[in-house]
Amino acid sequence: MVRVRLKLPSSEGRVARWLVAFMTLGFIALAAAAIAIGWITVRNRTYTAEILHTQDVRQAVATVQILMEQSETARRGYILAGKPLFAAAYARTAGNLVPSIRTLRHLTHDNPNQIARLALIEPRFIQLRAFRTQSMTLVASGRIAEAQRRFAVDASVPLMRGIRYRLQAMAADEVRLLAIRTERQQRTSALFLSVAGLAAALLLIVAILAVLLIRRYTADLAASRDSLRTLNETLEEQVVERTADLSRANEEIQRFAYIVSHDLRSPLVNVMGFTAELATAAGPLAELVDRAEAEAPHILTEDARLAAREDLPEAIGFIRTSTQKMDRLINAILKLAREGRRTIAPEHIDPAQLVDTIVGAMQHIVDDRGAVVRVERPMPAIVTDRLALEQILSNLIENATKYLKPGRPGEIVVKGHTERGRVILSVVDNGRGIDPRDHQRVFDLFRRSGAQDQPGEGIGLAHVRALAYRLGGTIDVQSTLGDGATFRLNLPTHMTIQDAA
Amino acid sequence: MNDHKTVGIVMIEDDEGHARLIEKNIRRAGILNDIRHFTDGTTALDFLFNAADGPAKSGPAMILLDLNLPDMSGTDILARIKAEGSPLRRTPVVVLTTTDDRVEIERCYDLGCNVYITKPVNYESFAQAIRQLGLFLSVIQVPEAE
Repeated sequence: MVRVRLKLPSSEGRVARWLVAFMTLGFIALAAAAIAIGWITVRNRTYTAEILHTQDVRQAVATVQILMEQSETARRGYILAGKPLFAAAYARTAGNLVPSIRTLRHLTHDNPNQIARLALIEPRFIQLRAFRTQSMTLVASGRIAEAQRRFAVDASVPLMRGIRYRLQAMAADEVRLLAIRTERQQRTSALFLSVAGLAAALLLIVAILAVLLIRRYTADLAASRDSLRTLNETLEEQVVERTADLSRANEEIQRFAYIVSHDLRSPLVNVMGFTAELATAAGPLAELVDRAEAEAPHILTEDARLAAREDLPEAIGFIRTSTQKMDRLINAILKLAREGRRTIAPEHIDPAQLVDTIVGAMQHIVDDRGAVVRVERPMPAIVTDRLALEQILSNLIENATKYLKPGRPGEIVVKGHTERGRVILSVVDNGRGIDPRDHQRVFDLFRRSGAQDQPGEGIGLAHVRALAYRLGGTIDVQSTLGDGATFRLNLPTHMTIQDAA
Repeated sequence: MNDHKTVGIVMIEDDEGHARLIEKNIRRAGILNDIRHFTDGTTALDFLFNAADGPAKSGPAMILLDLNLPDMSGTDILARIKAEGSPLRRTPVVVLTTTDDRVEIERCYDLGCNVYITKPVNYESFAQAIRQLGLFLSVIQVPEAE
């Protein structure tokens, strides 16, 4: 026998879970990497902006320095040579100086150190500018000597030195800042690279894992699809095999019951036969005892008299009733076995008409028992084995008329309806009912329920159930003690040979 | 009844009790013919076909046959007796058995059995049947073996 078990890959669920976990992890890692990269990029831009800013500040400081030196040089040239060329150069450079200082102040407004330095520069510059304006005015009015004399004594040189010194400090500070910021930017760039590298590696790992898992998952799916296909392909075959097995087993049981009941019959013939011989032999013996009693009472013992008149007939009587009962039981088994061997032939049947025939055949019994059988019409048509259905219904109706409640005229209703593609035929009576404890038991062979006041061996309902099973149906009973019973026969509407058990 | 040679009864029955009951009841019916009893098919066939005093060699007989035998099926014996060319094919065979299966009965008649009787468990019926068989035996005309 081919046994194909559908091996559903047990790892499928786990694989799927791992797959989802890895994908989720991968996406989370990627998102984290993207955020990190974004953040790093923003930081980098900030640092770049800061570096550019520092460059601007350096540029601004340099501009101020140059203008400061150029204007000083122009002033000094003018004082020394008095040439208008110097005056023009001075005017140009000094004119640019104020805006360039303003620019510097604007650029360094966020740096307290530079602001402090600038704050030291500005008053000096104002002082210096006053000296310069004086020098330029004097030279322009031709008083060069006085300008030279004043220049020699005024504080221009120390002021210039002070300014120069602080501007250099500012430039140095910016150089220091530039170094710091450049380094920071380089660090961020390195970080960016490592994060990007990490993300790429992560992506690669996730991708590889996902591919591996998907391949395994696909392989599992393919395996289960293959086993499903195999199962499907062999299902029909298996059903046929199982059915054959079942019918073989069924046949085996039928044969067994048949042979056993036959072989049981054989010794029973002997028991019955020789019991009859014994009974026959007991007759002359009893006569002998009678004669002895009449003619020679002294030879007759009490034991002999008892043996011939009571013990022998009693023993023979018990043997007879027992063997007769055994014979009936064996015949019942034989009948069931033979029924199981009968070929089932489904045909179209009108149950109402069938019930009419059955009731017609047993009308005298029904009348004798003072019962009425009513058939509720219409009844659903059915395709099944006529003889089996007839035997079932006739057994049920016969039982219904048999187990009446004393003092209540029997009223039996046979009806039918369709329920989910099956026909339910019910035999409802108002008889003595069946104890719910016995609802299953009554269908067992040789089992009966309630008062044993009716003849019977407990075969009818066993037979009915066996027939119902053969027709692919079931039978059950609903009843409360003393309140009637309803036997419900559930049959396929359209019986096929495959339904036959 | 044949005047010169009495019809021998060959009983093939594995159950000693049944055999005894059958014999008793045949005797009670007043039949005094010789009854040969065999409990298995092999010796019975040997007697039927080969024995010097057997039915094939000497004299007419009728056969009472049980179907359930230890060594072979009664139907096999029936088939041998009724086979084409068998010297005993006209010998009457009464199948007397417990089997009342319709198929089995049909098969026996198909094979050529003359009477099929089911042993009733009820002894009175059984005795009645055997006595009637005895009456039947007393009037039956049996052909000579060929």
